[in-house]
Amino acid sequence: MISNFITMNGYGLYVWLSFSIAFISCTVMYFKTKRTLQKYEQEFLIELQALTLKERSKALENSKVAQQILATSSKVN
Amino acid sequence: MFKFFSSSNVYSLIQRLINFINSIFFLILIIGLTFALVLSPPDYLQGDSVRIMYIHVPSAWIGLVCFSVITLLSVLNFIFKIKNFYFINKSIAPIGLLFTCLAIVTGSLWGQPTWGTWWAWDARLTSMLVLMLFYMFYILTFKLLKEEKLIIKVSSIIAVVGSINLPVIKYSVEWWATLHQPASIKIVGSSSIHSQMMLPLMVMLLVFLLYAALIFLMKYKTEIIRIKKKNIKRI
Repeated sequence: MISNFITMNGYGLYVWLSFSIAFISCTVMYFKTKRTLQKYEQEFLIELQALTLKERSKALENSKVAQQILATSSKVN
Repeated sequence: MFKFFSSSNVYSLIQRLINFINSIFFLILIIGLTFALVLSPPDYLQGDSVRIMYIHVPSAWIGLVCFSVITLLSVLNFIFKIKNFYFINKSIAPIGLLFTCLAIVTGSLWGQPTWGTWWAWDARLTSMLVLMLFYMFYILTFKLLKEEKLIIKVSSIIAVVGSINLPVIKYSVEWWATLHQPASIKIVGSSSIHSQMMLPLMVMLLVFLLYAALIFLMKYKTEIIRIKKKNIKRI
């Protein structure tokens, strides 16, 4: 039964290759997208840190997105 | 209503949606793979090679739907100048390209044992290849052009011209004698696929849709941060 599952009655190469290609390409895209997102979050935080204290608190006060990025990164760190 | 769609509300909604998809994705993936690789029966004619369908068909559907959405939003953006549509399209295009490529590659892997050839210049296969090229041109406009107005103009033209190919893909199997089989699943009318194969197909479609949604949300979130980063001094 296990042998049948692996060989897929002679179609194993095609079936497993299809599923593997789909799995690998989707995984690569997921991690690439995640890394880009994290990179932008980090860059945003660096720019936020570069502001003066007054500018920073004003930015955080006016932008909920900035607050959320800061909150997310605090959770991660 | 419009206040709800402010970037801060959308941003927090995106985060919640990402968490939700992450929490259910692996469970549905395991169910889908169990159905596709173990529980679904082999085809009486194609044997176990039919299992490639569970990757090939949802990929092709998502590839087509993504380009349809891109075309629609490009036209709406061109008319109403809603900048958000531009960012949505920019986030959708790589997903559409990935799934179109997957449909072509898995189609080729299915074609070899079924038709005895990896590739044929048949109407359905060629029109899918044309779709892939349109996706590439579309994405290249974002990479090569610098001015945003020009990007919107050029990418909209590519989307509209490329959309002519969509009905060609859909009806190619009816208009021409092709190696590719006609549609087995119909939205209107009865489908010729057995429920034992239909169920795994629908579960795998759900898996791919969730994956596409996850990537879209992450890319769209990146776009929001990119804009906020650009305007940080103005905040």
